[in-house]
Amino acid sequence: MPTITIDGKQLTVDEGKTVIQAAEEAGIYIPRYCYHPGLRIVGQCRICLVEIEKMPKLQVACYTRVQDGMVVHVNSEKAKRARQQVLEFLLVNHPIDCPVCDQAGECYLQEYYMQFGLYDPKMVEDKNKKHKAVPVGPHVVLDSERCILCTRCVRFCDEISKTSELGVFHRGDHAELLPYPGRTLDNPYSANVVDICPVGALTERDFRFKVRVWYLDETKSVCPGCATGCNIEIHTSKARPYKNEGRRIARLKPRYNPDVNDYWICDYGRYGFLFVDDDSRIEQPLVKQNGEFQELSWDDALQMVSGVINTALENGKAVRILGSAQMTNEDLYALKRFGNEVLETHDIPVTVKPLEKPYSDDFLIREDKNPNTRGAALLGFDTEPAATEKLLTACRNGEVYTLIIFHHDLFKGFAEDEVKAALDKVDSVIFVGSNLNPTAELASYVLPSCTWAEKDGTFTNYAGRVQKINEAIEPLEGSLPEWKILRRLARQFDHTFAYFEAEDVFRDIVKKVPAFTGMSYRALGDRGMLVSENGRSVQQAEVKEELTVVSK
Amino acid sequence: MQALAEAAGKFVFFIGLIVLNIAAILTWVERKQSAVMQDRIGANRATIFGIRMLGMFHMLADMLKLFTKEFFIPMGARRFVYLLAPMISLLFALVGFAAIPFGDTLILGGREIPLQIANVNIGILYIFAVLGMAVYGVVLGAWASNNNYALLGGLRASAQMLSYEVAIGVSLVGVIMVYQTVDLMEIARAQGQLLWGWLPQWGILLQPLGFLIFMTAGIAETKRIPFDAPEGESEIVGYFIEYSGMGFGMYFLTDFLETILIASLTVTFFLGGFQVPYLYADGFHFPWGQAILLPNIAVAALQFLSFLIKLIVLLFIMMAIRWTLPRFRYDQIMHLGWKILLPASLINILITAVVLTIIG
Amino acid sequence: MNVHDKYKPLSWWDKTYIPLVIDGLAVTLRHFFRNIRLHILNVIGIKTKERGAVTYQYPEEMRPLWPRTRTLHRLMRREDGSPRCVACMMCETACPARCIYIVAEERPEVQIEKQPKIFNIDLGKCVFCGYCVEACPEDAIRMDTGIIDIASYTRNGMLLTKEQLLNIEPKVENYVSRPDLMEGQPIY
Ligand code: SF4
Ligand code: SF4
Ligand code: SF4
Ligand code: SF4
Ligand code: FES
Repeated sequence: MPTITIDGKQLTVDEGKTVIQAAEEAGIYIPRYCYHPGLRIVGQCRICLVEIEKMPKLQVACYTRVQDGMVVHVNSEKAKRARQQVLEFLLVNHPIDCPVCDQAGECYLQEYYMQFGLYDPKMVEDKNKKHKAVPVGPHVVLDSERCILCTRCVRFCDEISKTSELGVFHRGDHAELLPYPGRTLDNPYSANVVDICPVGALTERDFRFKVRVWYLDETKSVCPGCATGCNIEIHTSKARPYKNEGRRIARLKPRYNPDVNDYWICDYGRYGFLFVDDDSRIEQPLVKQNGEFQELSWDDALQMVSGVINTALENGKAVRILGSAQMTNEDLYALKRFGNEVLETHDIPVTVKPLEKPYSDDFLIREDKNPNTRGAALLGFDTEPAATEKLLTACRNGEVYTLIIFHHDLFKGFAEDEVKAALDKVDSVIFVGSNLNPTAELASYVLPSCTWAEKDGTFTNYAGRVQKINEAIEPLEGSLPEWKILRRLARQFDHTFAYFEAEDVFRDIVKKVPAFTGMSYRALGDRGMLVSENGRSVQQAEVKEELTVVSK
Repeated sequence: MQALAEAAGKFVFFIGLIVLNIAAILTWVERKQSAVMQDRIGANRATIFGIRMLGMFHMLADMLKLFTKEFFIPMGARRFVYLLAPMISLLFALVGFAAIPFGDTLILGGREIPLQIANVNIGILYIFAVLGMAVYGVVLGAWASNNNYALLGGLRASAQMLSYEVAIGVSLVGVIMVYQTVDLMEIARAQGQLLWGWLPQWGILLQPLGFLIFMTAGIAETKRIPFDAPEGESEIVGYFIEYSGMGFGMYFLTDFLETILIASLTVTFFLGGFQVPYLYADGFHFPWGQAILLPNIAVAALQFLSFLIKLIVLLFIMMAIRWTLPRFRYDQIMHLGWKILLPASLINILITAVVLTIIG
Repeated sequence: MNVHDKYKPLSWWDKTYIPLVIDGLAVTLRHFFRNIRLHILNVIGIKTKERGAVTYQYPEEMRPLWPRTRTLHRLMRREDGSPRCVACMMCETACPARCIYIVAEERPEVQIEKQPKIFNIDLGKCVFCGYCVEACPEDAIRMDTGIIDIASYTRNGMLLTKEQLLNIEPKVENYVSRPDLMEGQPIY
């Protein structure tokens, strides 16, 4: 293993690493544009030039492999001057649109220019005009003038999404990044190019001009879009609510987690947050009177709902629950306790199999669109779709008096008349969810819950990785996390769930459910922990396999 | 009966017509004089039909405002005392003027009318008594307000006024020694005599030190800047902090009345009272022998005018002092009162006594 | 140097306060009589170079504004009449009172791309610091209208919209290049 010296720091690194990676290990940051740890190295941009003793010229840190005894100077005068010159060249044709550029604030041209720039540019020639504001795909806008031709996006499309929509055309200072003729950038991972583009050449269409990036607050979370559980950051615009058309969540960004998603997320997940500030959100508990929903207070609603359940229980009639794997472990655990202790039902189905098979691939997107099916199974719910079918059949046969549905839109999983026939036979349907859907419309009582962005909790992904989600925005007024709804509902039946925050529920889970042994919110950290089966962490192998896909 | 009517007439003329009007005008003068001294214009926004009168109408506006404002009685206040206190203040400020001679004798229809509302032959003692009572209005109001700031103001006021009363009293002993009387009218008359045949025997010439002490202590008695620690707007607001409407109005008026009272007393004791140099009961008799004979009514008018002019000049100077000096610190006030003014006035008595003994 | 060295100890004569009181009175009375003279001269119609007071009778008499005085905001236009502002939100970011509210929209012309859909300034909150002007990279916002009489009976009346800001008629005549050289100036 070679030992090298970087800026006076001596360290030993693995064979085959390049200088930029070694420096990172030593905690020294070397500027980069084309280098991206998730992509192949090409040495395209030359911003990473460093001085290496005994080498006649400056070397690119991203491409040069470390050798024993190497002495590297990252911040010598020569290296700094080189960066300054590279920046001058990069700006020769750059429009410097910063006032109208969405990247401003997280742009690496700005960042490095602030650090190394010449501030007194020598370029006086006219700039080349190129394509501006071209929508190259459903989610991405291209501004070729701003492109610095680092080819990160090209490599992403070649290596990660393997769709090769983008390329660099023409030569010299007319070289321009464009999609291949007739192609659009519409692969399911297309918006990742926005994240990796170091400048404002590729920007998001949804986010375009909505909020300046420096107004955003960031909260670590997990994508609720499918069972993979990609790590994300929720970017919210709380301080200036008049922006972004009143939407509180401005955008989602992938968060690096080598065990799950590396640097990437899919576009379904990335734009899957729009329901959070949608008009269909339920803001108050509702009760159906003469076919119309009436708003009422939580206290009244809980009293009515518990009254309905009580009548059923007293008359020995069945009260059944349809849970949802959209709920966090905490919510599900409270639901399980509610079912077991209050209603004394033990088989609670959670899965509704969609009518049409959803898109999936072997990279990130999984067929199961619920983030917590594995968690539900571990907590003792019946995750087989057949269980739900059985429940609906029971309804149709008039065996169910009261049905509590969480989140599900049954019409997505069953034929319309089938659902209607089933629900008609049920005396009262209670719907708990964040948004109104056709199933909720048929319910007698609707209780608003908050979305994943509005609460704390954990999801267990398909591989058994328990990951933490955090409250990014305040719950919409009137909505509550499901575990709180269930706590208050249980209270009506003189059952006390002694939970005050989601963490209390999780502690209870850790105590009672063996698979979660040894976990805590703190131990989960940013990367999560695997559940254990028979005292062993599960499925490490499968996760490893996932990783190799990413770094191929 | 006739004596009563006479007294009533003098009362209406002097207090009603002269003193109260001067007090009212003083509120305007205060604003305008300070403005001019400070290169400003001063209050001038109150108009009647577009007539400005140099902002004179602010007096009216103020009065209207004070009369129409709610008279607020704070919770826990001693109602009766709270209502009474400003009236006591005002009363003792007004009755002081009864002893001030504003002219010699006016002969009207054969009657000899001394131009002094009440001819108290122990005038100085009367004045002491009235000045001594003034502190009651302040202390009672402060105490009845049930407010700590007011109480602090009241405490400061009582300590200050008591201290300076001593200086006032002792400084006037010199005057009594020189003129050999405690009757204000007599003192005023005595100042008409000439020293060495040409120098009017005014108090300021015979008792220069006494004049300074009396003026200083007098200003302290009025509780105005630089001796306004009891009001201290910037720290405790003062003994009248809780008063609103006419209650405050009365204290406000008392302030100006006391200024006029002190000024009139200074005029009476030290500036020759109503005397015009060389003017006697029958006209002018100049030292070089010339004489201009005048009827009694003209003499009385001249004397009154001279009193008024002296008063106004003195008021001007007091205003100027008020708008020039910064406030004394409270310990400085006490220091000045007890350690400077009192010894100085005692020394003044000593010197006066020595001089009087020598010249016999 | 010790600051106390500047002060001589007071002599006993000074300690009586009398000379100091007289000094002070001399100053104030000098001003009094000078100003009274000027006022009287003015009243009887003799114009003097100086005035008796530094006061401006504001609503009737406008104070001459120095060229750097910050007055009501306005938004500038391009030659074609469209707003210069590109909704970069620099001013909104710089504003310490947080009284600028901008919402951006797409602009058809591709070279500029972006323009404000909403541009409100809440003058009820504005502290007239001028940071917005400093921050603007497009010279799109200025505070040089010479308008200082900004008042309204409602809070909403203090909120200026994009259209209002674009159409403000500057009163440049309120500005003077050197107010201190003007005739009949108040003495400072
Ligand atoms: S890419 Fe960066 S430097 Fe270029 S216009 Fe956008 S923010 Fe400015
Ligand atoms: S668009 Fe962005 S990522 Fe792609 S080559 Fe240009 S600068 Fe690089
Ligand atoms: S002047 Fe200052 S406070 Fe007013 S809008 Fe501009 S930046 Fe904001
Ligand atoms: S700084 Fe200038 S260009 Fe940017 S939003 Fe404000 S006024 Fe418009
Ligand atoms: S980062 Fe090394 S050449 Fe681009």
